[in-house]
Amino acid sequence: MNAIIEPLFASVIVAPLIALVLIAVFFGALLGFAAQKFKVSTNPLIDQINALLPQTQCAQCGYPGCKPYAEAINSGVAINLCPPGGENTIIQLANLLDMEPLPLNLENDKEEVLKVAIIREEECIGCTFCIQACPVDAIVGAAQQMHSVIAAECTGCELCEAPCPVDCIDFITLDSMPIKPLPEKSLSEQACIRCGLCVDVCPVDLLPQQLYWFAQGKAYDKAKEHRLMDCIECGLCHAVCPSHIPLVQYYQSAKLAIRHQDEKHQQAQLIKQRFDTREQRLAKEKALAEQRRQARAELAQTKARQSDLIQAALERAKSKQASTPSSAQGTLTQDSHHGR
Amino acid sequence: MSAIIILLISAILVNNFVLVQFLGLCPFMGSSNKVETAIGMSAATTFVLTLASMVSYLIYQYLLIPLDITWLRTIAFIVVIAALVNFTEILMLKTSPLLHKVLGIFLPLITTNCAVLGVALLNINAGNSFVESAFYGFGAALGFSLVLILFAALREKLSLADVPAPFQGASIAMITAALMSLAFMGFTGLV
Repeated sequence: MNAIIEPLFASVIVAPLIALVLIAVFFGALLGFAAQKFKVSTNPLIDQINALLPQTQCAQCGYPGCKPYAEAINSGVAINLCPPGGENTIIQLANLLDMEPLPLNLENDKEEVLKVAIIREEECIGCTFCIQACPVDAIVGAAQQMHSVIAAECTGCELCEAPCPVDCIDFITLDSMPIKPLPEKSLSEQACIRCGLCVDVCPVDLLPQQLYWFAQGKAYDKAKEHRLMDCIECGLCHAVCPSHIPLVQYYQSAKLAIRHQDEKHQQAQLIKQRFDTREQRLAKEKALAEQRRQARAELAQTKARQSDLIQAALERAKSKQASTPSSAQGTLTQDSHHGR
Repeated sequence: MSAIIILLISAILVNNFVLVQFLGLCPFMGSSNKVETAIGMSAATTFVLTLASMVSYLIYQYLLIPLDITWLRTIAFIVVIAALVNFTEILMLKTSPLLHKVLGIFLPLITTNCAVLGVALLNINAGNSFVESAFYGFGAALGFSLVLILFAALREKLSLADVPAPFQGASIAMITAALMSLAFMGFTGLV
């Protein structure tokens, strides 16, 4: 019996165990080495996401600012929580992360309009609460003095509205750059048959038919890569198109949208700069205050020590006066004072 | 030398793993929305496939055959592949966190990419030598990459085209893949 079982045992249990343990040990060592060797300390992806956010620091997404929201997106939170960024930001984020663009979350939907705060100055009581709330230092004023908003720097984040005790802050909508919608499909417009006539006539050597697809699909980055901004809108492509597609109208719409996007991006960078400066300033102020506090504490300590010394000296003098006759006694008391 | 070139051409075009043998379809459909992602996926798969076919050959020849446990090959190969995929993931997190994020679940899923295990097993069945195994794995990876990148480029165009409503999304992608597969059938008899 044993003679049959033992070789079977060896080949079915022992050999596989040896083999698998060897393999596991080898690869375990390899992976352990790799994990040590290629350790990641910082994640540059967060900065890439942060660069796409509008930097209003408005916290409407439920996070305290744009950077925390970028971190949250990196760890898997939805990309559609940013009302100031609107649809455009969502599309850009979806492109970066290769996700499906979602519609803007309706819970924080306040649609994408440019707003600025305005203080009704005759009602302002000069409490400085709004100045402290503003994340980009766009409100100027001093205690007991009237405050006012620097409109060019205001991001319309509404963070100053809640702290104001007299409700003297209003928000007015600005006329943003007009967005031209894509042209309505007219009856005469037919589908593109890719005849390429538009390519032949284009005086600046663009690919009008490609640009048309990009404009229609809102693939603005690609349209830019294909030099949409060089289009002189001469209208020749429209004129030769056998399907009567109003190509130039598509280009105009896309160009406006691109300009809008670029401008927003630039503004976001400026706002970010202001926000960063404010953060630095706050940190500096905090450090200074801490320093002053420490200095005061030290001063108080030395003063206390000095008054202790004076007290001790006074007591010494008093006891000396009380026991003038015997010098031996005097030294004794002095010693006892020293001991204290 | 000519044998190796023939082996490569046959693995890349004639017996393309994705379009002719229908292996490794999930990353083919899943990570082909953008050309850059597809290139990253191809690089990762090429790395894993080539190394896995070499390492699994070594393990088969020098561990499983001497111990007479060739029936354990599937499990042993899966361990090898899983370890290599993990290694790739660590490397990628270091070198390109964006790609790591974008590939998401499809990166660890290379482990269960049937093309990878398929190559290792086919090598054994065909009795390939070490060098042949390595080139067969590399060729399979090149074929996978070629098809994946071509398909991603097509899908980028498709995403802008006016696709009739019932065909939008995955269905037009499936039809495109089928047409590509038909086209690759044309390579039959090339080698």
